[in-house]
Amino acid sequence: MTREITIALAGNPNSGKTTVFNNLTGTRQHVGNWPGVTVEKKEGSYDYRGYRVKVIDLPGVYSLTAYSPDEVVARNFILEGKPDVVVDIVDASNLERNLYLTVQLLELEVNLVLALNMMDVAKSRGYEIDVEGLAQELGAAVVPMVATRREGHNQLLQEIVAVGEGKETLERTRPYYGSELEEHIEELEKVIAQDEELSQRFPLRWLAIKLLEEDSEVLKKIGVKV
Amino acid sequence: MSRDEIIQARDRSLSHLRGIFGDDSETVIAEKRYGFIGGLLKDILRRPTTEKVTTSHKVDQVLLHRIWGIPIFLGIMYGVFQFIFNAAAPLTDLIKAGLSQLAQIAAGVSPAWWGSLLGDGIIGGVGSVLSFVPNIFFLFIAISILEDCGYLARAAFVMDRAMHRVGLHGRSFIPLVLGFGCTIPAIMACRTIENPRDRLTTMLISPFIACGARLPIFILLAGAFFPMRAGLVVFALYLIGIGVAFATALIFRKTLFRGESSHFVMELPPYRLPTFVGTTIHMWERGKHFLQRAGTVIFGAVVLIWFLGNMPWGTAYASAQSWLGRVGSLVAPVFIPCGFGQWPAVASLISGFFAKETVVGTLGAVFSVEEAVLGGTLTTQLGWTPLIAFAFMVFSLLYTPCVAAIGTIRSETHSWKWPWLSIVYSTGLAWVAATLIYQIGRLVIGS
Repeated sequence: MTREITIALAGNPNSGKTTVFNNLTGTRQHVGNWPGVTVEKKEGSYDYRGYRVKVIDLPGVYSLTAYSPDEVVARNFILEGKPDVVVDIVDASNLERNLYLTVQLLELEVNLVLALNMMDVAKSRGYEIDVEGLAQELGAAVVPMVATRREGHNQLLQEIVAVGEGKETLERTRPYYGSELEEHIEELEKVIAQDEELSQRFPLRWLAIKLLEEDSEVLKKIGVKV
Repeated sequence: MSRDEIIQARDRSLSHLRGIFGDDSETVIAEKRYGFIGGLLKDILRRPTTEKVTTSHKVDQVLLHRIWGIPIFLGIMYGVFQFIFNAAAPLTDLIKAGLSQLAQIAAGVSPAWWGSLLGDGIIGGVGSVLSFVPNIFFLFIAISILEDCGYLARAAFVMDRAMHRVGLHGRSFIPLVLGFGCTIPAIMACRTIENPRDRLTTMLISPFIACGARLPIFILLAGAFFPMRAGLVVFALYLIGIGVAFATALIFRKTLFRGESSHFVMELPPYRLPTFVGTTIHMWERGKHFLQRAGTVIFGAVVLIWFLGNMPWGTAYASAQSWLGRVGSLVAPVFIPCGFGQWPAVASLISGFFAKETVVGTLGAVFSVEEAVLGGTLTTQLGWTPLIAFAFMVFSLLYTPCVAAIGTIRSETHSWKWPWLSIVYSTGLAWVAATLIYQIGRLVIGS
């Protein structure tokens, strides 16, 4: 019997996300629209070791705020579609900016696989990346890749299934934002935790952070007039 | 626990945090995230002690130069348009030749009405669309190459300062460039603009950028009425379109969409050699919207116009007695101040509302003449002067691009408010502009 895993591909524009999507799904993909908005939705699937893996290509975004329909679509899919695994494609030659999205995925408490793409470019610039160290600090599987040459492709396939099966041994890191902020995040978490509906629908800490960011979309979602 | 209590708790935290950090908490949280990343990178990333000056950086010093950036950009755009017209011309000729073959075959088909629908309606109408498919696809090839190699983002960066003058952001620039091909992908490209005010403004001004469908009108009329200065006149029309777009942006930003234009950092992707597959996919994704439109909306519009031109049954196609002629006659007086208050002109503009590609075709059908002699016919039959032709071209440039573009605004904004605003504003503006040109021009010329 084949088991099904749903994965979402997240990543910045220009991180090679489309290449990874094409490598994974080949010709088994189709394009539609996300409901309610005219943002293109690409879906595909592949079979791997007894798994049918459904792949959703999220719009390329730098962040998961509510500033553009693309960001809202990506975020809502993670929250509501509850993918088993989120593969975050990261440009290794531009880590600082790309990890900004990664940090927000950690906030969302997703099961993360970090595809560290464009390792060749990073190398040619003289960057040395401690891949194992990165995995430890993020608490997530990291796969170094060169997607245009399919390098790292097999390892990515393995990690996706491993994380999807819940075999990931690393514990997801909770980014620490300094004592002042943490204090307020924690306090809000406690207040939100008493609301049964909200605490079932959203990761508590994430919701607390979003409230502090005065995120208009989230306020609308929890039924507060802005 | 009610939601209000959550919000109260949040408000307490917010005011406390504002006291500590003196900045809004969204910024504070963003800084903390970068702080986390900074700490992480110290541990796991070793950069070379002296960062190599990358080739990318060197190229940027030239392309993004404070003074030379804009002339270089204009030069590249000029090259792009040269490339499009030269590369597309043979294909366009080929398609036109094929279509006239088809039209001849259709002319022999019986019954006659069926032949007329095929020949005058479908082949004539869809054909006029097909004949500039090469132009549009070559434009999209050029834009995709520029985008994939990383230049388009630089062009947006170079134009950012100029765009801020009219209250827009550099990101609005790419949709506007696409607008030279077809307004629909231009409107759709506005999705990448984060700030909703910027997005709507860009969407509403992009129809003023002269799309490929308007070019045949310009080429025909400028060629016929300004034979010595045709190129200059067409260029002037493009500039008028750009000017109106920017002026409109300024007006909208001062009235409808007040507030700061966004100051997001623009991303400069590394220069890359565009791949054949990547460029083809990009080109196709943009071009297909145009083809879909040609296949559906424009096809429907052409059949509708043919129908209006043939009703009541038995009238000569697109004659004064046809429904098209009658509607044209009915509306014509409105356009007397513009200089072209005659039913054939108005009928062609009405069909142009469905698709601007059909304006020339409808005029040709009314007089049953080839496009080559249409200019002369307009002079002898309607008494057109170069001034009237110019007013007509300006009107064609500015009024509602086509139903498909309006439909795209509707689907992108999920509202009927903006498409209606676009129709009323652009058509009103077109009328005022054409009237001003005609009336002032008459005074100056003294006729």
